[in-house]
Amino acid sequence: MLVQLTKRTLLLLASLVLASVLVFWFLSVLPGDPAQVALGTGATPEAVAEMQERFGTDRPLTVQYLDWVSGLPVGDFGVSYVTGATIGPLIVDRLMVSLWLVGAGMLVALVIAVPLGTLSAVHHRRPLGTVLAGVSQVGIAIPNFLAGILLIGLVAVSWRLLPAGGWVPPAQDPVEFLRRLLLPALALGIIEGAVLARYVRSTVLNVLREDFLRTARAKGLTPARALVRHGLRNAAVPVVTILGLQLAVLLVGAVVVERVFVIPGLGSLLLDGVANRDLLLVQGVVMVLVLAVLLLNYLVDVLYTALDPRLRAAA
Amino acid sequence: MSTPQPLSGPSGQVPIPGEDVSSGATMSRRSLPASLLVGAGLVVVIAVVALVSFLWTPHDPLLVQGAQRLQGPSGEFWFGTDRFGRDVFSRLMYGARTTLLVGVVAVGIAGLIGTPLGVLMGSSPRVIGEAVMRFNDLLLAFPALLLAVMFGAVYGSSTLTAMVAIGIATIPVFARVARSGTLQVLSSDYALAARSAGRTKLAIAVRHVLPNISGLVIVQASVSFAIAVLAEAALSFLGFGTQPPTPSWGRMLQEAQELVAVRPSQAVAPGLAIALAVLGFNLLGDGLRDRLDPRLDDRRGTG
Amino acid sequence: MARSVRTILIGLAFALVLAACDAGDTVDPDEATDPVDDVDGEPDEDDTDDDVDEDEVADDGEDVAGLSIGFAAEPASLDFSTDDGAAIPEALLVNVYEPLVKIDQEGEIVPVLAESYEVSDDNTVYDFYLEEGVTFSNGDPFDADAVAFSIERVQQDWTIGLASQMDIVEDVEVVDDLHARVTLAEPSNNWLFSMTTRIGAMFSPDGVDGLDEQAIGTGPYLVDDFARGDRIDLVRNDDYWGEAPDFNDVTLRYFGDPNALNNAMLADDIDLIGTVQAPEGLSQFEDDDRFEVIEGTSEGQVVLSFNHDREVFEDQRVRQAIRQAIDRESVMETSWGGYGELIGSMVPPTDPWYEDLTDVHPYDPEAAEALLEEAGAGDLELDFRVPNLPYAVNAAQTVQSQLAAVGIDAEIDLLEFPAVWLDEVFTEGDYDMSVINHVEPRDIAQYGNPDFYWAYDNPEVQDLLEEADRGDEETFAENYREVARIISEDAASDWLFLAPNLMVANERVGGVPENNVGEMFDLTVLERT
Repeated sequence: MLVQLTKRTLLLLASLVLASVLVFWFLSVLPGDPAQVALGTGATPEAVAEMQERFGTDRPLTVQYLDWVSGLPVGDFGVSYVTGATIGPLIVDRLMVSLWLVGAGMLVALVIAVPLGTLSAVHHRRPLGTVLAGVSQVGIAIPNFLAGILLIGLVAVSWRLLPAGGWVPPAQDPVEFLRRLLLPALALGIIEGAVLARYVRSTVLNVLREDFLRTARAKGLTPARALVRHGLRNAAVPVVTILGLQLAVLLVGAVVVERVFVIPGLGSLLLDGVANRDLLLVQGVVMVLVLAVLLLNYLVDVLYTALDPRLRAAA
Repeated sequence: MSTPQPLSGPSGQVPIPGEDVSSGATMSRRSLPASLLVGAGLVVVIAVVALVSFLWTPHDPLLVQGAQRLQGPSGEFWFGTDRFGRDVFSRLMYGARTTLLVGVVAVGIAGLIGTPLGVLMGSSPRVIGEAVMRFNDLLLAFPALLLAVMFGAVYGSSTLTAMVAIGIATIPVFARVARSGTLQVLSSDYALAARSAGRTKLAIAVRHVLPNISGLVIVQASVSFAIAVLAEAALSFLGFGTQPPTPSWGRMLQEAQELVAVRPSQAVAPGLAIALAVLGFNLLGDGLRDRLDPRLDDRRGTG
Repeated sequence: MARSVRTILIGLAFALVLAACDAGDTVDPDEATDPVDDVDGEPDEDDTDDDVDEDEVADDGEDVAGLSIGFAAEPASLDFSTDDGAAIPEALLVNVYEPLVKIDQEGEIVPVLAESYEVSDDNTVYDFYLEEGVTFSNGDPFDADAVAFSIERVQQDWTIGLASQMDIVEDVEVVDDLHARVTLAEPSNNWLFSMTTRIGAMFSPDGVDGLDEQAIGTGPYLVDDFARGDRIDLVRNDDYWGEAPDFNDVTLRYFGDPNALNNAMLADDIDLIGTVQAPEGLSQFEDDDRFEVIEGTSEGQVVLSFNHDREVFEDQRVRQAIRQAIDRESVMETSWGGYGELIGSMVPPTDPWYEDLTDVHPYDPEAAEALLEEAGAGDLELDFRVPNLPYAVNAAQTVQSQLAAVGIDAEIDLLEFPAVWLDEVFTEGDYDMSVINHVEPRDIAQYGNPDFYWAYDNPEVQDLLEEADRGDEETFAENYREVARIISEDAASDWLFLAPNLMVANERVGGVPENNVGEMFDLTVLERT
């Protein structure tokens, strides 16, 4: 067990280093001169050169890489070329916003997926089950930004029930925070709910076929009772695993939803960074997203090994 | 991207479980036609529309006619006209071409590189296979959207960068599927027999594994196709995919966003087209999966 | 197929019902705040004093008197001396940082911090007499020393391109506390005008640290909070020397997406759209009596620029053919929803030297084809590199389609704005043709600058412009009029249309400045209704 853990941790670290090399190498060929952007249309070549020197973009790439990567472990992502702001705190701010959104989206997804998936499994091979499975298929096929546009069009613009977008931090005004969180969370969560429902369904189906449930039913419990008493707990392990992995997917998927709802999250930061050729900023955001995916993978792996005795034995 | 399945990263490790692979043949035979038929039907319709668009569209999808802008559906313009006076229906037809092109190229890249890679990973010595596998996992941490934004930033956004990015991001998924299929086949009796007859793992892989995992790969291709369609739509919506004036459903949706309250049909039409295409390929994949030998079901790829 | 469609619609409807239920819950607490207020205060006397009421609510963080204005482009920082972005002076100039003089709605130069000013006969010596009793928000007094400091700082520390307009200043003399005398190296008609832009903003000598996060000026508003990528909260400066503005708190909110800006207005989330960038959706506001659509003029000419360094554009006939191939009316329709004005040159109708040149090289595709044939440019292929801004992308698609009709193949290549477009088109000049809205006032002068990105090199134009800046006002206007005609006939570019200044206001706000003049969005003229 401990050997496993150490091995996986080392692997994670190696992956991170490799990822940082990939990200840096790839983005260092980015066209567009950040100094030029910051200084505007009438800037003199001297001013541009001076700014390049100040940012250190005139140094060799390896030096720039080492400088950048050595700061990462302590959260030092450097200083934005364009705005002069320190990137670390900026990323943290935006990450918090994205996490709220992704968390709320996941909550919505669960609220939809668990009943939908369970019902369609229990009613397997019956009309209701087929219809529900169909609903989740259709849900998966809808892009989340389309859901967002339609939600804005109806709920915000036509009915004027909720704001069409924007962000208010929870500490500033909790009610307003929730009002603004709701629509984007729905746009993200409804679609994700359809995805999760399929996992829930097949997991529950598998559990339903397990021996202990058959026994329980033989002892006179109704299928629903048997499922609630014995099945759900067993079904939870794989579902939780998938949740972790889907969180990472959602974090990236939120980029589009953030754009539609004008939410100042990590995705908006990334897109703005690209538009402004804010190289260090883009590097930082991409790195954080990749880190999040790798870390979630790692945690899920560790959890899975810890929870599933069969897997532990196999490893 | 609401990319459900393997493409956007780690979910590749836990592929969507099949529609009851293990529930037995009776079940499959009854439920299979529905998803397979509907899926195949949708895919065929889209393919036919795309092919027809090469020969005929009701109007020129690129011709700007200021005098006819923003018309509602009519006998002449079936789905109305956009803000440029271009025929929405003709653009949808042309958009089907873009969608299929992106899907075919992206899945092609992923399948043609990912599958052999996976077979190699499965049939090479343990240490090497493991190392390649880890690198594969690392690539999974770069979702299509992130890659495409980076590609677009470096090489300029276009349909080409979008489909290459989607393709590269999908390679690890195919590699995983092929690898676990390979491992299973190699541990089968006949493969062991072949080994004892002195054949190398690689020779066995080429001879026995590829034909045996082709079903798995085709299912994955269908599912990945659906994801690629969604990814292209999202990228074009963000401006990182297909560039104007070439019609693309995601781009059409983005252009219609401004008009959603005035002319909702303009957003609904490309939105529906995207949803139907994704639904079609997903159902097709499911239907095909049901057909497969349950033993090849890829439960959890990590060995 | 039909069934799938229906299932999707049902699915959507389901989702929306869910949304609606949740929405109902969250709206309630908001309504519940009203009774609470009534219990605390006196419930009956409604019209005792508006201000008392406001302050009470302000303490709760919910200011009924606050105004929320939406913009599209967000400021990357608060420091307009090192960051070129137009959103910073839009928010801060006049409102937080005051200049000596500003441009009013009619385009006239009017005093702000300078109570009055005198210009010597040869246009080289400017005497500014300053307002008395003005202080910066850090408590420092505003005096002639601050004027000298601010002007010299532009010359020494500002890094943006615009700062070069201050190079002409030879000396700033502090005559007494309230009298500053600026001497120019040579006569200039443009200098005083440029003092109405951000470079004329007055800074406190002790208030220029950390400018990207804080702003210390003499203006009627203070920056209360700056949330990057989201908003700037402004509060009224209680120590303001002039007349207090109507609104206590003003929040400037930034929406990267123009549609989101419209939607926020439709959903009653903001009171005013500073500049509508998605005009196609304007009909929603026009049909709704909650809103007033305000259409004024701007100084933004949407220019189809030709790169004169490219061989194809050496021939005037080719340039003229392109001008004649384009139906500008149609471009304006598709690009800006038909709002705006057609112009035939680089001059907005608000400039005194404007002349109607819209009949020069009118739309005539047949004439265009004939010209192309004459010039031997039958199969012209152009590298049409366009910034990825909505109006530019829209205009480009129309232009492309119309050029295709006369046999010109203009391949659209979208570049991210600002970074890539600025780098590759503007700086490197790697393009044949482009589209962008030139918003700077009096930027016709760029046709006299052969180093500008369109590389138009016409000695006659250069001489006329140079003479204009040194000469008296009459020569200035005359020469500018002449230049406008020359470049139009020479088809130096095509001027697609003049961008409108479109705004939408709800019933809470009046006095909205109709025309977009200068660099600022003047909050002081807004009135509560």
